[in-house]
Amino acid sequence: MMRPVEHLHLEHVLQTVGALEAVVLRSFGPHGGQVLFTRDTGQAMLSRSGTRILTALRLEHPLARMVVECVWRHNAKTGDGSKTFILLLASLLRMIHTAASKDPHVSLTHNSKEAAKAATARLLADKLLAFALDELDDLISVGVVPYGCVLSWKDFTAKTQSPVQKLLSSFFYTRLGQSNCDFISNLLCEMLTHWKFQHDPPSGSLQFINDNFPALHTPVLGFPISCSRLIEGQVIHRDFATPLTEPDGGSVKVVVFTGHLQPKLLNAGEVLELGCEALGEQENRGNGTSILHYSTFAEISLEYVFSNLQSLGVSVLLSAVKQSAAVLSLATQAEICVVECVSEDELSLFTHVMVKPCSLVICGSGEGQTEQYAAAFQEAIRMVLTTWEPLNTRPTTASKMVIHSHKSTSLHTGDTKPTYGFPCQNSVLEPGCVVPAGGTFEFLLNHALLQHISVCDNHESFPAASQLLANALLSVPRQIYSHSPRYFLQAQAMVLGSVQNHVHPFVMLDSGLESVSCKYHLVLAVLQCVTRLFQIDTMLHTHTRLNTQSRRLANISWEDTEDEAEN
Amino acid sequence: MALNGDDEDFEWEPPTEAEMKVIQARRERQDKISKLMGDYLLKGYKMLGDCCDTCGTILLQDRQQKNYCVSCQELDSDVDKDNPALNAQAALSQVRERQLASQSPASSQSAELNGGPSSSHIGVSVPQPRPEHCEGAAAGGRAPLPPPAVPSTSAPPPPTVLAPTRPPVCPQTTVLQPVLQEAEDAVLTKLRWATNQLQSSASLEASIQLCSLISSCANSLRSLKELSQ
Repeated sequence: MMRPVEHLHLEHVLQTVGALEAVVLRSFGPHGGQVLFTRDTGQAMLSRSGTRILTALRLEHPLARMVVECVWRHNAKTGDGSKTFILLLASLLRMIHTAASKDPHVSLTHNSKEAAKAATARLLADKLLAFALDELDDLISVGVVPYGCVLSWKDFTAKTQSPVQKLLSSFFYTRLGQSNCDFISNLLCEMLTHWKFQHDPPSGSLQFINDNFPALHTPVLGFPISCSRLIEGQVIHRDFATPLTEPDGGSVKVVVFTGHLQPKLLNAGEVLELGCEALGEQENRGNGTSILHYSTFAEISLEYVFSNLQSLGVSVLLSAVKQSAAVLSLATQAEICVVECVSEDELSLFTHVMVKPCSLVICGSGEGQTEQYAAAFQEAIRMVLTTWEPLNTRPTTASKMVIHSHKSTSLHTGDTKPTYGFPCQNSVLEPGCVVPAGGTFEFLLNHALLQHISVCDNHESFPAASQLLANALLSVPRQIYSHSPRYFLQAQAMVLGSVQNHVHPFVMLDSGLESVSCKYHLVLAVLQCVTRLFQIDTMLHTHTRLNTQSRRLANISWEDTEDEAEN
Repeated sequence: MALNGDDEDFEWEPPTEAEMKVIQARRERQDKISKLMGDYLLKGYKMLGDCCDTCGTILLQDRQQKNYCVSCQELDSDVDKDNPALNAQAALSQVRERQLASQSPASSQSAELNGGPSSSHIGVSVPQPRPEHCEGAAAGGRAPLPPPAVPSTSAPPPPTVLAPTRPPVCPQTTVLQPVLQEAEDAVLTKLRWATNQLQSSASLEASIQLCSLISSCANSLRSLKELSQ
């Protein structure tokens, strides 16, 4: 049944992505359902996270694995939008397939219609990507950003009505459901406020929290999520190896060791060469040096170390490795507490942090659930980091675009109409820009693309590419409002109405917020994935493993795969 | 690259109206296939890197290492189109039977575009009676039972078999009786096999499926008994 070489058809690509889309569709949107994972051991877990669902599927098809890899990478960067990724990808592929079937270039000479279709599709995908890399950020700056608002990081505090809290709340609403999203977003806001470095841009402190999140949170099982809280200080996730002695008072001195205090003698395969140059020749010849002399010498030097530590007033010893029994007994005698096998991240955080740290205690009823909450926190941090990451745009091309005029809004948090953020007069992709959730971004970008087509002259084939993208984008809100097509039309009319009247959509839509920057990265990532998919034209089945497994597959157990996809 | 009008080696015209309809039907079928595949993936099936030999659909593999083609083995068995609840079960039991009997799947690619797969299926020769035919008989005998091996006479068996005015003792009964007997034997064999599997089954889902297979076999037997009386 397995053929050695298989030529890829567009239908294969469509079918693969179509199957993944069918998997993800049921959980999509604010009313999407959860997937129940069960293992043969009886362990069960509920999840709505697109990445988690997709990585749990058993996929041996190389294309499917590649797509899931792309989704995983996108999620690792932005923390959001895995299901939207698949939806947009499937929609784009279908449209490219239709366009390629209707009109493959007769001028290209190919063996078959299939090959011609594949070549046309590849061309279209490349054009789409080129268009997006060239002009998408400008289009967004002009067509989307003026209708959103820019959240200021400087004014960000942990108040309940803070817009950052609203952004986080809508994020957690899609992840964890309605019941706890406000509480959790509040908690995260507190943590972000605490770690805000005064003189750094927001991306500095956010990047710090993101990198150190494993060391900055502690999962606790057996309590409801509402017991989670922030605590002062850093939690080292190891127990004491020696009995705990209460410090006398005042500050506690801690020494960090990264190696063994007592070096191990005689490991397998090692040769220990003993010699002492200080002794005279006679003694050397007579007694010789023996292992006993060496170990005595080692013990004495160890005792010396500990007496030094005691005189310095050290009471805690943090060690990255497991220390020997002699070290532990000496430490107990000297009344020094030892913590062994501390992870490197925690040690580096401990040694390098300058401010008073605070960490998060995340409670959950089961292991799976707590892990999900922790993952949701981390993804939220990534999402906020992406939102405030400064993007490089070129100011010269922006002047080509028509800049819409709009009313300015002022920053009042106490108003009846929730207008916040300051107006986006600039035409660069401002960090911190958000729009209302629920398809607003897609409607706005679709409108901007269609306008761009009518304005631009047709000397390039970019109009075809931007038309495709514009149509594909609408599939996302269509799916959000799939339960009622009337709401889709209503929402579209509302957004377009606000565009024409130059009013912020905020005053009309009372939904959550979503980050423009994350969406921008999403569109780019989808287009890159499309290009990658169409660059494959042959699948070679091999019987040996070619690559080592990627990192994300480490926790999925499956049999040896036998095929690889090659260009 | 821009060699326009190079019609000698590559003639292509835009598709006509009829072809557009065909393309539309094919797209709908593809959507159905994708949806079914997604459902199976969520149930724990594995998506393989191979395609089915007959229809080119991507193959799935269940926990018992048996391959499954969504379009051949589910979409094309149209007998129980009215009973979607029974259809998946019939398809699964058919898979097991097929694996046991090591048959090659029936060719169905020509049936796609015509939109009338049921008529073409009766003409296909099937060496052994399939469970869904039994269930078709169980569904009130609405479809005439095709005789097991009919390569030459492709016309469907006469519907007078089930005419209500005729008494049961009629020349057609002699054709019907061995068929029913064969069907009964096949169902009994299946029942026995399922019971054995159930005794040795370790997985929860397999046990559930086997139990439902047993209950549908029992239903089929009951209906067959009613028919023969």
